[in-house]
Amino acid sequence: MPEPHSIALPLWQLPVLVFVPLSVLVALGIGLHRFVRRRSAPGEERDWSVPPLAYGAGTSPLHRWDVRCKIVTILVYSFMIVSLAHLTPALAAVAVSLLVLVVARASLVKVLMRLLAITGFVGMFFVVMPLTAPVHPGDTVVIFGGLKWLGFNLRGLQLAATIAAKAVAITLLMEPLLSTAPLPVTLHGLSRLGAPEIIGQMVLLSYRYLHVFRHEARRMSSGMRVRGFRKRTDLQTLRAVANFLGMLFVRSFERTERVFDAMRARGYRGRFPEPDAPPMTAKDLVLAAVWLLVGTALVAGDRITW
Amino acid sequence: MHISDGVLPLSVTIGGYVASGTLAAWSARRTHQEELPKLAVMTAAFFVASLIHVPFGPTSVHLILPGLTGALLGPSAFLAVALGLLLQSLLFQFGGLTALGANALMMGLPALACGWVFQKFKGRTIMHQAVTGGLVGALGTALAAVILAVLLATGGEDFFGVAQIALLAHVPVIIVEGLVSAFTIGFLARVKPELLQPPYLRPRKAAHA
Repeated sequence: MPEPHSIALPLWQLPVLVFVPLSVLVALGIGLHRFVRRRSAPGEERDWSVPPLAYGAGTSPLHRWDVRCKIVTILVYSFMIVSLAHLTPALAAVAVSLLVLVVARASLVKVLMRLLAITGFVGMFFVVMPLTAPVHPGDTVVIFGGLKWLGFNLRGLQLAATIAAKAVAITLLMEPLLSTAPLPVTLHGLSRLGAPEIIGQMVLLSYRYLHVFRHEARRMSSGMRVRGFRKRTDLQTLRAVANFLGMLFVRSFERTERVFDAMRARGYRGRFPEPDAPPMTAKDLVLAAVWLLVGTALVAGDRITW
Repeated sequence: MHISDGVLPLSVTIGGYVASGTLAAWSARRTHQEELPKLAVMTAAFFVASLIHVPFGPTSVHLILPGLTGALLGPSAFLAVALGLLLQSLLFQFGGLTALGANALMMGLPALACGWVFQKFKGRTIMHQAVTGGLVGALGTALAAVILAVLLATGGEDFFGVAQIALLAHVPVIIVEGLVSAFTIGFLARVKPELLQPPYLRPRKAAHA
C-alpha cells in the first residue's frame, strides 16, 4: 500500500496559494452578482429567471423540439450526470451543457443568475472538503509550514470539483429546459407524459400567486419602513417579522377563498384550457436518442478507470 | 439550505423521488380534491414567507418554516412543501432538479411531524399555543437539519465534514425560527384562530360572505 504522499510548503505560501485565489473568486462572484442584478433590473422590480408565460415561438432546435421528448431526455440525462464519479467526464458534461446553451440561445443573464444561486452550497464543498476528507493511502496532502492540522487533501479538492462540475452541468440545462417553451406548455407536456393533471394546475396557480403575494409582502414591508421599523438582531424585530408573517398568511388565505370563487365564477371545473400540442415526429425522437447516447457515452467513459 | 444537483449518490436521489412521490400522493389523498387549487395558492404564501431574511448578528438567516407549514396545513403540508420546492428549483435554482425528492423529504417530513405534534399538544390558551408553536418551529428546523446531514453523509466518509458543518450552520436558524414561529402562532391565535384548527382544508361553509 502506498503511503499518503505529503507536500510540505513554507507558511508564506498559504496566503499566496489559498487566500488570494479564494478572495479573487469571491470578488468575481460579487461583481457578477452586481452585474446580473443591474442587467436584469433596469429600474423595474426584479423578476429574473421566470420563464415567461406567453413567449414568442423561438427558432432554435430546442424550441421546436417536442416538449415530452425534451422533458424526458433532459431528466434522464441529468440523472446520468449525477451518476458520474470522476472529474474528467463531469467536465465533459459541462462542455456538452455549454453547447446546448449555445444551440438553445438561452439568455446569458438568466443562466448566470441560476449559477449564482448554487454558488453558496457548492462553495461550501470547496472550502470544507479539502480540510475534512479523511486521508487514504495514495492521497496527496499539502501542508503549509508544518501546520499538520491544516492539511489540504487534494483528493477532497478533486471530489469537490467533481461535485461542482456535475452541479453546473445540470444547472446549465435548466434554462434550455424551461425557457424554450411557455410554462403552461411544459406543464401540459408533463401531464401528457402521465403525471396527474392537477400537478400542472397547482404549479401554475402557485407560480401566479407567488408574484401576487410578493407584491403584497413588498407593500407591507414598505409600510413598516415608513413607520420607522428597521431590522436589528433583537426580540422586537423577531416579533415584528412574526406579525408580518401572520398578517401575510391571514391576507393570503382570505385571498385564496376569493381567488377560488372567482375561478369558479368563470367556469373552472377542475381544468384549464389546454395549449395546442403538435404530434411527436421522428425528428424529435432522433434528437432524444442522440442526446441520450451522449449521456451513455459519458457514463461509459466514467466507468473506465482513469 | 437546499441540496443542489450532483451532490447525492444516484441511488439516494432516486430513492428520494420514490419516497417523496409516495408521501405526496398520500398527502393529496388526505386533502379534499376540490381544495387542491386553494392549497396551491397557500403554497405561494409560504414560498413568499420563506424569502424573508431575518438579521442575525452580522449576517442574516432566511426562514424555512417547516414547523409553521405543518401546523397550519396538517397532512396537506407535504404536498405544499413538495410543490414549493419544485417551484424554487424550477424558477430560482434553489435546490437541484435531481435532488428534488431528497429536498422534499428533508423539509416535508419535519412539516408532517410538526403538524401532528402541534395539533396534539397545542392546548387552548393563546399562550399555550404560542409556546407549542415555538417549540414546533424549532423542532421542524432541527429535524430538517438532521435529515440534511444524514442525506449528505450517505455520500460516504468524505462527506462527514460537510454534513457536520451543515448541521452547525442550522443552529442560529433553529433559534430564530423557534422565536418567529412562537410569535406568528400567537398572532394567528389572536387574529384568526380558525386557521389553527383541523381539519385543515375543508369545504367552506355557505355562511361566509
